[in-house]
Amino acid sequence: MRILVVEDEPLLQTQLADALRSAGYAVDTAGNGVDAHHLGDSGSHDAVVLDLGLPQIDGITVLRKWRAAGRDMPVLILTARDGWHEKVSGIDAGADDYLTKPFHMEELLARLRALIRRAGGHASAELLCGPLTLDTRNGRATVNGQALALTSHEYRVLAYLMHHREQVISRSDLVEHIYAQDFDRDSNTVEVFIARLRKKLPPGLIETVRGLGYRLTAPR
Amino acid sequence: MNLLAARGSLRIRLLAGTLFWIAASIAIAAWGLGSLFREHVATQFNGELRTHLDQLTAHLAVDGQGHPTLAVPLSDPRLRLPYSGLYWQIDELGEGSAKAGVAAGAERAKQVAAGSLRSRSLWDSVLDVPPDAPADGEIHRHRVAGPADSMLGMVERVVRIDDPAAGLPRSFRLIVAADERLMVEPVARFDGALWLALGVLAAGLVVAALVQVSVGLAPLRKLHGALGRVRNGDAQTLVGKFPAEVMPLVDEFNSVLTQNAEVVERARTHAGNLAHALKTPLSVLANAATGKDDELARLVVTQVDTAKRQVDYHLARAQAAAAMRVPGARTTVRPVLEGLLRTMRRIHAGRQLELVLQPIAGDPAFRGEENDLQEMLGNLLDNACKWARSRVEVDARLEQGSLLIRVDDDGQGIAAADRDAVLRRGVRADQQVPGTGLGLSIADDLAQLYGGELALADSPLAGLRVVLRLPAAGSAVGG
Repeated sequence: MRILVVEDEPLLQTQLADALRSAGYAVDTAGNGVDAHHLGDSGSHDAVVLDLGLPQIDGITVLRKWRAAGRDMPVLILTARDGWHEKVSGIDAGADDYLTKPFHMEELLARLRALIRRAGGHASAELLCGPLTLDTRNGRATVNGQALALTSHEYRVLAYLMHHREQVISRSDLVEHIYAQDFDRDSNTVEVFIARLRKKLPPGLIETVRGLGYRLTAPR
Repeated sequence: MNLLAARGSLRIRLLAGTLFWIAASIAIAAWGLGSLFREHVATQFNGELRTHLDQLTAHLAVDGQGHPTLAVPLSDPRLRLPYSGLYWQIDELGEGSAKAGVAAGAERAKQVAAGSLRSRSLWDSVLDVPPDAPADGEIHRHRVAGPADSMLGMVERVVRIDDPAAGLPRSFRLIVAADERLMVEPVARFDGALWLALGVLAAGLVVAALVQVSVGLAPLRKLHGALGRVRNGDAQTLVGKFPAEVMPLVDEFNSVLTQNAEVVERARTHAGNLAHALKTPLSVLANAATGKDDELARLVVTQVDTAKRQVDYHLARAQAAAAMRVPGARTTVRPVLEGLLRTMRRIHAGRQLELVLQPIAGDPAFRGEENDLQEMLGNLLDNACKWARSRVEVDARLEQGSLLIRVDDDGQGIAAADRDAVLRRGVRADQQVPGTGLGLSIADDLAQLYGGELALADSPLAGLRVVLRLPAAGSAVGG
């Protein structure tokens, strides 16, 4: 899962990015409206945390541009302005949720999880696929109740596949969504992660669809 | 009408001024025309006396017996009518009088044979004229008492006629007199007619002045009405056509209103900026302290919470107080509710709530700022969505000139005993229990600032019913 954090206050941006990374997300950051628009327009983020008071282009305008261009990732607005007037105009511009400063990081993480889950069409915080369970609240994956020990990259790959289970995910899609922008990407490493996951999971859970990518599917 | 009222009322000032000038003009006209006429009548009176005197002089002769006589009787019939008011009389002056020249008149007067010849109108009375002897060609004028207590104006001259019988020139004093009543009566008649005419004129002018003041001040009454509409919130500026003299005032006033709205908007923006400026560092502080378990971190977390509540509370109050000073604010309820419900559906998307806006009859409007209505309804709806199990219903309507908005939820409700505590009436923000939502009490504060009220009740949906009563704006659409 890859998140875009847009916040112009450097200290808060760092705090957000750290908290999100330790929650298992790949994180991109932007400190102004122009960079934010550019990054978000790539379409490779699973969610955006967007501060409204931005230099150059304000957050609402950036959000409108994304929505006009058909970008439909969930957006959580983060702002100091907590009047309902701002909330309504934020939601009408295409935001999915709203959090006012100062906020509790746990609440932000919970809201973000819920947004990502809903975007994938999942009602519960626990994602199920056969014997495999992923609790998005604490990042724990279990097979038949047995906890799996995963590295952060393995977790990201698994979480992305769980959110899009029964769908074919291309290798480049996976790369887009598990690495932050500035990371030195190597699509071969994805194969390595998949291979490691297959060893830890019951056989047959991750299928290879030749020429297209991978699919997480419950065994019939 | 006391002086203060006279100074205070434009109508009375205008009327008093106009009436004073009308009265003054009428008085001057009456005096001027009257004296002109009196002068004219006097001139005519004297001219008539002169004419008669000239005729008398021309017709005077001395007959064979040495008696003065008139060759032709004077034509005016009044001279033959007893005591008609017009008289003549001829006195013969004694011999030698002419030679006496400028000798004392008193001495000569003794030699007068008074009334040797008189008009019939004098009947048997003789004019008692003061002793006088005008020099040759001179005409003297006197006022004398006449018959029947009248006062007469008279003219006299002395004529010398050669008497062929006596061989000596004889002197006669010719007198023509007329009753002054002949002069007074036309003047009195004229004065009567004059006062009547001037009275009618004055009455007409007064009526015209009243009409003029009333018509002239009509724009001020209209201005008053327009201001009233602004104050009632039915209009944001003064609307209507005004005369060129009032229009600058209206324009100035409208620009003051606009400027006022701008100032309020700026204040609002500044307050928002301040909140923004404060809250980002607060976020940083809170996040830095989160996750650490020591005394300082806990202190920071609780103090940041308190600071956030204070900022929220006072920002809301400041915005509401600013809003109250914008006259003419008017907000249609329906779009605000629709926007908020869209927002609620999104924010509470995970809870599968059924949010129902009951059909709104007519187009009710709130007499106040859109931001404040949004703030009140946003807090009420958010609160309802937080507590509802599955359903929230909203209803807005006009009732007895008030705007009534009801929000029902099917949550657990609030026990009647706890309702006042929830609204925290009379409790200051910094004395409130931390960790409880401010929504209802902010809405309550705002409603009270607008002269409305917030009431909590049991909902037919089994949860809480919040009834918000606010001043409604009239149906007139403002500028």
